[in-house]
Amino acid sequence: MTTTITSPLRAPGSARLRQRRRTLLLCLFTLALLVTLTAVGLSTGELSIPPLTALRALFGFGDSGDVLVVQQFRAPRVLAALIAGAGLAVSGALLQRLFRNPLASPDVVGVTGGASFGAVLLLALGASQLLVPLAALGGGLIAAGLLGAFAWRSRAAVGRLVLVGLAVQSGLAAAVNLMIVRFPAELASSALQWTTGSLYGRTWTEIWVGGGTITVALTAVLLLDRRVAVLDLGDDSAGGLGLRPDRARLQLLLLAITLASLAAALTGPVGFVALAVPHLVRFLAGPPTPATLALCGLLGAVLLLGADLTVLHLLPIAGLPVGAMTATLGAPWLLVLMIRQGRPMNRSTR
Amino acid sequence: MLRIDLPAPAGPAQRSLTARRTLLFALSLCVLLLCLAASLALGSRSVPLSTVFDALSGSAKPTDTGAQVVTGLRVPRTVLGLVVGAALGAAGAIAQGATRNPLASPTTLGINAGASFAVVTAVYALHLSQPVQYVWFAVAGATVAALAAHAMARQSGDLDPTKLALGGTVLAAVLTSWTSALMLFSRRTLDEARFWLVGSLDGRGLEVLTPVLPLLVLGLVLATAVSPALNALALGDEAAQALGVPVARIRATAGLSVVLLAAGAVAAAGPVAFVGLAAPHLCRRVFGNDHRLLLPGCLIGGAILLLAADVTGRLVIRPSELEVGIVTAFLGAPLLALLARRAAR
Repeated sequence: MTTTITSPLRAPGSARLRQRRRTLLLCLFTLALLVTLTAVGLSTGELSIPPLTALRALFGFGDSGDVLVVQQFRAPRVLAALIAGAGLAVSGALLQRLFRNPLASPDVVGVTGGASFGAVLLLALGASQLLVPLAALGGGLIAAGLLGAFAWRSRAAVGRLVLVGLAVQSGLAAAVNLMIVRFPAELASSALQWTTGSLYGRTWTEIWVGGGTITVALTAVLLLDRRVAVLDLGDDSAGGLGLRPDRARLQLLLLAITLASLAAALTGPVGFVALAVPHLVRFLAGPPTPATLALCGLLGAVLLLGADLTVLHLLPIAGLPVGAMTATLGAPWLLVLMIRQGRPMNRSTR
Repeated sequence: MLRIDLPAPAGPAQRSLTARRTLLFALSLCVLLLCLAASLALGSRSVPLSTVFDALSGSAKPTDTGAQVVTGLRVPRTVLGLVVGAALGAAGAIAQGATRNPLASPTTLGINAGASFAVVTAVYALHLSQPVQYVWFAVAGATVAALAAHAMARQSGDLDPTKLALGGTVLAAVLTSWTSALMLFSRRTLDEARFWLVGSLDGRGLEVLTPVLPLLVLGLVLATAVSPALNALALGDEAAQALGVPVARIRATAGLSVVLLAAGAVAAAGPVAFVGLAAPHLCRRVFGNDHRLLLPGCLIGGAILLLAADVTGRLVIRPSELEVGIVTAFLGAPLLALLARRAAR
């Protein structure tokens, strides 16, 4: 299972320039889309508020009713979608490059499943709701640890990684199921919410903590992008350039997993965003550079916010978790990938 | 991957091999009997074996509560466990043989998720409340999901092991998220369906078994019919074709038998994970790779696994009990991880 990732270091000058210009345009376009969607998210709902009034209300000016609605209900939800979407997408992009496999993503390898385990476990222990995101983070790291213990050895065997991820996930899912069966019905419902991914009832504390940590992690990813580019050249070349490939890979892998866990702690395991966005970006903007990584983040934020707004306003069913929406949209995408990847591969690897 | 034992030359070696296999079958039957006895005797209220015998032979006093527990609760439960375990074991063996994939099983093919989604939808839309009423919806959902997973893997060329597992997993992920969405939407559905969704032998009599019995029997007949051809299939499609085996037809029949067996089992007991995956691997260690022996071996092995898990679930948190689906998943997850480790080597 290998994909060819053309290194940016080898691209000829004019092509590189053209790609840079194109990526910049795409970034601007996505940013515009993000602003529009944010405005829509802040202004639409039960109570319709004009976008500019909503923006002023966000900063505490204007009618006190508007301020309450925007500050307490709409802004946290919109921000959670943006932050988590960006975190998931960048984490997916990083994992796909590190494993050199288009199917690697935090949901496939079980990290986000671990997050839902942590959250449900905390609900089971009866602790405060405020600690739930922290528990989700812990659960994600536990899942990553289990995955590492079973599958860590080489970068090549992604088939194995996926299957071990499957095993880790189903073991944790059994534990979650156990708690859902044993809970009284109200608790079972909120536990179930943590297995699908949803954006209901986010608080400002969660946004500040989650947003802060995810921003730090995203900055770290952007700063370390050079290492990823060197790793793309292959282990021998990377060693020749003075990088210890195994150590660098472990470092980046931990960063990607932390990012995904932080995002899942904010929203629950929203599926397929991390998988789909990097592909979309590679299709639109070409081989990976730091700029495309930023584009990944922006597009992930836009995608999750868009999915959430669709769930909230366009669908006739109330209370649908956003995770169900992204899974429904993302699954055909993954299948197309599998089929496309399958055709030439079957010939060459047999 | 699977290997075939070449036909050994007739002689002392062949005879000792036959003797060894007979012994192994006898031994595994003994283990099964032990599990049956444990399943009849142990539980939140343990009944001495002598009472179990009295209850089974009908010579117990009608006032003996222990005997009533055995005949009223434990016998139906044990029979259910026996049939469901055997069906799952056989389904796993045929699925792994037909796809040449050591990781194929009813769970990884999306059959469980399909049945779950269908049942939850039925509970939501039709206000069902008895496991007996779920049976046909479970069968329908399982069948559709299995066909979809297979179609997806087919689409990508040769039935690639990883693709089939991945396709099934993706399908299961989507169906699971829809199931959760539906249960979040309706509290009543959550309350009705969550106990069915973990897979349990508790609280359903033999009446859940009677409607699916024809499916299971038909599935087993088909499985027995294709099992000799699976040995040739293990050599690879081209080699099997050269040996005169109609590969496509064999694979279709095998697929049908897997769907019948797994769907029947899921409909009766709910989505019990990992028995279908684990039984063939354990049995291959004991009985070898010849599918003609592996199939009956897996019938016994699957039943042993399910009954043992059920008894374990009854004993660990007495007087309450763990659902059998949870016990098998807890035991099965490490097993799957180890298998994946070895399969990739």
